[in-house]
Formats: sequence, structure tokens, C-alpha cells
Amino acid sequence: MQQRDNQPSRLFLSILMALVLALSGCAGTPTKSGGVDPDPLEPANRAFFTFNETLDKYLIKPIAETYVDVAPRGARTAVTNFFDNLRYLNVIVNSFLQGKFSQGVSDVGRFVVNSTLGIGGLFDVATGYGLARHDEDLGQTLAVWGAGQGAYLYLPVRGPNAVRDVPDLASSYFLNPLTYVTGAVLFPVTALGIINTRANLLDETRIRDEAAVDSYSFTREAYIQRREYLIFDGNPPSEGYEDIFDEESEDESILIVE
Amino acid sequence: MREWNTPEFTLPGALRPAILVLCLVTAAAGAQAPAPEPEPAAESAGAAEPAAGPADPAQFDAAAATVNRLHETLLGVMQKAGEMGYAGRYRELEPVIAAGFDTPLIVKVILSRHWTDLNPQQQSDFITLFRRLSVATYASRFNGYDRETFSELSREALNRGRLLIKTELQRPEKKPVRLDYLMHKAGDGQWRIISVIANGVNDLSLKRAEYAVVIKERGFDALVADIQNKIKEMESGVTEPEAL
Repeated sequence: MQQRDNQPSRLFLSILMALVLALSGCAGTPTKSGGVDPDPLEPANRAFFTFNETLDKYLIKPIAETYVDVAPRGARTAVTNFFDNLRYLNVIVNSFLQGKFSQGVSDVGRFVVNSTLGIGGLFDVATGYGLARHDEDLGQTLAVWGAGQGAYLYLPVRGPNAVRDVPDLASSYFLNPLTYVTGAVLFPVTALGIINTRANLLDETRIRDEAAVDSYSFTREAYIQRREYLIFDGNPPSEGYEDIFDEESEDESILIVE
Repeated sequence: MREWNTPEFTLPGALRPAILVLCLVTAAAGAQAPAPEPEPAAESAGAAEPAAGPADPAQFDAAAATVNRLHETLLGVMQKAGEMGYAGRYRELEPVIAAGFDTPLIVKVILSRHWTDLNPQQQSDFITLFRRLSVATYASRFNGYDRETFSELSREALNRGRLLIKTELQRPEKKPVRLDYLMHKAGDGQWRIISVIANGVNDLSLKRAEYAVVIKERGFDALVADIQNKIKEMESGVTEPEAL
């Protein structure tokens, strides 16, 4: 491992921060009903959505399906474990940033155990020792600190995102050991990571394609709700579940006003 | 909002124009964009009514019974999925879903402002169609058995007498799926499901967003046709999924 040239990294981070600053200024358009439109960038988002769907349909998805056919389940699990482990430094940092100290300590233990006994992260031994896997990132941390979601963003290649989740693109990049690896090995490893990630999403996208009459809004709503669920570590306030029933009377009163 | 400090680095001067362009692009894309506070939790006016009295255990039991009936039926069709086939699973699930879900209310919430644009015939047809969609979705998705189990996690009383039954679908060697059921007591005194939240994702909000787009862009009849197609696809097993 070798420290990369500092220039491109700084530039990358700067661009991301610029994006956040630029977009957070324009985020969230009030709607007629007084609520906030979660998707003020919809035209641009839809364009990127079409782009990604096309790229996926003709390139990434077929490769991922072949990969599932060819690689045995055990091997795929090991690959998933390996990349999860590489991403785990970002989880650790964000556990602490959210003030979850005992979780953070457990996450450090998990990373150490899986990196060593788990042979570079290929095997998830830590779960067996009671060091559960957590799902944290900088977007969740910012939410815990009180930042609003901001506009929904559908990014080329990357997919669903929101302004609040953009800084995590930088933190997960810099906290991933793979970032500091150079040389010929980088390309196949990165490619494997992408294909494996896509393969793990095949079930989800199949269910979406079966169920959705408008894939774009399906994906957006699912992403926004899923993020909310993760921010609250799987226990979002139950009132959120019933908002949709209590809004109804509001809607009707608006109809009358209009 | 956004009180976190920007890390110590400065934007290279070259990026300034880029930011400007970005802001212009986003402003244009967002059409009349500049906006105040993005406050996610839009408070629903008057939603703060207290739960109807202290939660009565008998009411909780009645609500949980509806959920259990659904789960038992699902397990039943999963275990005999092969011999029953899609049609058999559909027949078995239909009465349970018809009785267990408050489809008229669900549909009304999903179509939201469009509901009142429909005439009574369209409304009742749509309720029937949506019920068929729900049954078909369950029948096509729960098409095999791999030692899954359902268990109840907890119960909660919510606003306006609604109850929440939190459950989990456990699957060997796979992550469990959290299934939370929002229940209300219908006019006839029966506890019915009004929303299913799977791992935090609420099907109602998804459908509401989707249907609004389809109605806006292609009209209500196109939505009906789309849903009929979905049901047909599931019937014919075009998209027959692997076992859950």
C-alpha cells in the first residue's frame, strides 16, 4: 500500500463538497400544499435514471447474472464479506460521530477480528462472537446531527442519493483502504466489487420490476424510506407510519381552497 | 440545520465557475427552485389526538389475531406452494386478504386527491382491482418454503386508536425481514390492516407516489391498464420469482 498523489483526492473531495454546498442552497421546493417537494431536481434525476437503467440493462446486470450463475454462493458470500469489511472503517468512524461509543468499540473489535481471524475480511467470524454488523455512514451521522435530507439526487452510475448523503461519498472513499492501493490489481478488484454489489441487489430490482408501475418514483420513495429506517437504526418513530392517513384530511381541505 | 463545520480545506478557485454552473443547472432543473427549510416531518395538522384511552389488551389481541391469520395462511401456502400452484395459492389467500385488509381505505389514501375525481363505479372497480393486485402479489411472491417463521416482536398504540403490530419473518441463513402492520378498527368492529411496512419501507407511500405519476402523465385508465398487466404477468408466471 502506498499513499496516492494528493492532488486528485483533494480535487475529488472539493468537487463533492461543492456539490453539497451548491445543492443544499437550492434544496427543497415548497409545494402548493405547503409541504416540501422532496424531488425538485426531478427532470435531471429522471435523465440520469434512464441513463443508469440503460447501462444496467445492457452491461452491468447481465454480468452480475452470469456472476451469480458461475460463482458458488460461498464464494460470493466471501466476496461480500471482504468488501463489507473494507467499508467498515467508515462505519466505525460514524458510530463514534453519532455518539454510539459502545457500538463504536464493538465495531472496532469486529473490524480487527474479521481482518485477522477472518482472513482479510473474507469470513465474518465476528458476528459469531457477538460483534454484530452495523450500518452507519456519514449521511446518517449528518441526519443525527440535525441536517435535513435536502433534495433527492439520482446520480449517474451511483444511483439514488440525497444531498445529505453526498458527503458520505467522500468519507467512504477516503476511509476505504482500497483507495490507497495502486497498481494493476486495483481494476479487477474494483470491478469485482461493483459486480458483486449489483448481484446482491438482483432480488431487490426483480421485486421492483415486478411491482412498480413507475420505477423512478418507486426507487425514490423506497430510498427515502430506507434511509429514514437506517437513520433510526431500524426503529423510526411509529408516527411516521400513520402520517399518510392523517394528511388526507389536509389534502381535502386544500382541494376546497383551490 | 447543517451546522456541521466544513472540514479545513479551501475550494480551488477553478471550481467557483463550476459551482455557479451547478447552481444554475439545479435551479433550472428544479424550476423556480430556491427554497426555505427542508423540514422532512411535515406535521400533520391535528394529528396529535391522543390514543383512544389506555391500550386495551383485548384490542391488541384482536388486532394481532388478524395479522396471525394472514401469517398462518402465508405459511400454509408456502409449505404447499408447489402442489397448489399460483391459482391454488391465490384461492387460499383471497378470503384472508379480503377480510384482513381495509382495501377501500387503503385505496383512498393511495389515490389521495385523485380519489374524489372518480365516479362511484370507478371507485368500487378500483377497490376490486387493487384487492386482486394484493392477492396476486402475495400469491406470486410467497411461492416456496425454506423453513421461514413469523414471530411477533412488540405492540404499540398510536394516534386515533390505531395499533401497530411489529413482527419479523425469520429465514435461515438470511437476514430477517421486519414486517410492521398498521391496524385500525373498521366500522364493523373488525381490526384490519391498513399498511404493511417491510424493513421500514411502506408500500402505501410507494404506490401513492407511483400512481400519482401515472395518472398525471397518462391518465387514470392507463393506471388501471398497468395494474391489470401486473396481475396478468404474475398469473402467467412471466416473472415467476425464485423462492423468497
